[in-house]
Amino acid sequence: MSELKDCPPLKYYDFKPVEHVKVCPRYTAVLGRSEDDGIGVEELDTLQLELETLLSSANRRLRALEEQRQILTDWQDKKGDKRFLKMGKDPDQSASSRHKPKKQKLDGKGSHAPGPGPGRPKLKNLQAKEYEFNEDPQDIPRTPKNDSPNRFWALVEPYCADITNEEIRLLEELLKPPDDEAEYYKIPVLGKHYSQRWAQEDLLEEQREGARANDKKKSIMGGPLSELDAKDVDSLLKKSESQHESPEDGCPFGPLTQRLLQALVEENIISPMEDSPIPDMAGKDANDGAGTSPRSQSKAFGVPHTRSLEARIKEELVAQGLLDSEERPGAGADSEDEVLAELHKRQAELKALSAHNRARKQELLRLAREEMRKQELRQRVRVSDNEVMEAFRRIMAARQKKRSPTKKEKDQAWKALKERDSILKLLDV
Amino acid sequence: MSADTKIAELLTELHQLIKQTQEERSRSEHNLLNIQKTHERMQTENKTSPYYRTKLRGLYTTAKADAEAECSILRHALDKIAEIKSLLEERRLAAKMAGVYSDTDPPRKTMRRGVLMTLLQQSAMTLPLWIGKPGDSPPPLCGATPASSDYVAKQGDKVAARVKAVDGDEQWILAEVVSYSHSTNKYEVDDIDEEGKERHTLSRRRIIPLPQWKSNPETDPEALFSKDQLVLALYPQTTCFYRALIHTPPHRPQDDYSVLFEDTSYADGYSPPLNVAQRYVVACKENKKK
Repeated sequence: MSELKDCPPLKYYDFKPVEHVKVCPRYTAVLGRSEDDGIGVEELDTLQLELETLLSSANRRLRALEEQRQILTDWQDKKGDKRFLKMGKDPDQSASSRHKPKKQKLDGKGSHAPGPGPGRPKLKNLQAKEYEFNEDPQDIPRTPKNDSPNRFWALVEPYCADITNEEIRLLEELLKPPDDEAEYYKIPVLGKHYSQRWAQEDLLEEQREGARANDKKKSIMGGPLSELDAKDVDSLLKKSESQHESPEDGCPFGPLTQRLLQALVEENIISPMEDSPIPDMAGKDANDGAGTSPRSQSKAFGVPHTRSLEARIKEELVAQGLLDSEERPGAGADSEDEVLAELHKRQAELKALSAHNRARKQELLRLAREEMRKQELRQRVRVSDNEVMEAFRRIMAARQKKRSPTKKEKDQAWKALKERDSILKLLDV
Repeated sequence: MSADTKIAELLTELHQLIKQTQEERSRSEHNLLNIQKTHERMQTENKTSPYYRTKLRGLYTTAKADAEAECSILRHALDKIAEIKSLLEERRLAAKMAGVYSDTDPPRKTMRRGVLMTLLQQSAMTLPLWIGKPGDSPPPLCGATPASSDYVAKQGDKVAARVKAVDGDEQWILAEVVSYSHSTNKYEVDDIDEEGKERHTLSRRRIIPLPQWKSNPETDPEALFSKDQLVLALYPQTTCFYRALIHTPPHRPQDDYSVLFEDTSYADGYSPPLNVAQRYVVACKENKKK
């Protein structure tokens, strides 16, 4: 501790006053004036500055003087105390404990903070002060970070970064046809015509309403009707279906069968004379059926093998060369189906698009693989660059020591150079 | 005019004070010279005898008393100057209110931009320097020390005001307080650049009073903004405040701050260092805006 030396730690400040003649011309000029001349308003600004300079200097002197005087006083007091305390039993401890606060006070002066309790380090004091300062958020606004360049590079990074195996794998994954691809090429079977479906729905609804109305009756009647209601929807529907279909398409035969038959019976229609046997037959039938409607008769007339008959006729016609082929009639029949046509169109589009995408992906994968290869080479170039530099450094070091490089060093350098050249050539290809 | 006679009187008083100051200074000069000599002798002998110690102590005590006296008289003189200035300012405001401009203060409307800039520069330079007695801490509005939260700027005070420009952008402009309404907590301020033309009514949140004292870097460096602190600073040759970082704080009382303005036209986002006077640097409050 400096206090223990024989000299007080004086700083021997230079207390020279400000040379006002040099530093403060206006002040000097005013001093030289008589009372009558006085000071002009326009001189105030300059005078103010000069007076401030003087005051500032005087103020600093005042502080320095106070500090030095305190040092002298402390030092003297301490010496006196020590001499006095040497008679005591434990001089050091009591002396230090008694004088620490004073020293602290001196320390504190420099930083304008009241000295903290004895034994507390000065650093802490400063921190505490800073913390106080921090408490007011207005005082220390957050310093802005200018992160535009960082943001830019972060944005650009993905476009320049090396290609990783991860990315190759992703590409390969993408090239696999998706599991649900077939889903998009499926053509669902033609459902029931909407008019029929609606009719069924309407009927069901009516029936439900009827059942509700019947619920009241049921309690009285005992339910045979309800049973009928629940069970016979289908039969009712069938009846309505047959009623619907009958005016347009009375017979159960397929379209080809009908056309063929029509072609064969046409002549009969033209000659009314031959019509007579038919009413006869009808009359006979009517007699036979006795009370059955002509409708039910036509049903009885229905043959069970209409489908196979139709198929066989078709087959035969194709075989005879009267119908072109299997597909033609199919396409021809479907041409009227707008939904199907649209579906075909879209599916074709999808096919084309996915083929195009696939080609792109394949191209990308190829490029990526190539780039990977180049990356690897570049990596090797970097390694061999380092080797070359290392060899260069070694040779330079040898040259600095004024000795010619050893054969081993030379060989190493050549080897490194050649290797680098070969890799570069590979990279250029 | 009574104000004029008052000013004349004060000027005479100031003259006397300055003369007294010099007397005081000459008186203490002798003692300081003595200290100087004693220092030299002590240093050549390289040890401190009790005699010198006692002598030095005596000299220091006297010099301290002298310095105190000198300081007090200088303060007195500076107060006098401030008083005269406030009288002049009052006169200017009164003239402005009456719509009549005196000869010494030509109408602002005809003032050219260069003249305005010079005036602003001068007003920054003559901002009083705060010189506290030992142990005093800087008052509010000294250097970077902010005003207390309930502070109300007086009429004629210069402030930084956040106004909405015609194009909708918000800007901090240099303005002069016209009035403050305690009922609505709103200021009326005039744009310094287009006095009389643009009057803004702004809530107190949009007003930052400018420092009323310079802080002395030699004695109160803690009352200055520190390096890299975010501030609002008046861009040179304009009357607008922009966000900036302190590059270097002033080293001497008359020095300016050197600041780096946020400026996207430069590669690193900041302008090269520019000088701005202590008067036109205030703390930047807005934290939300990036």
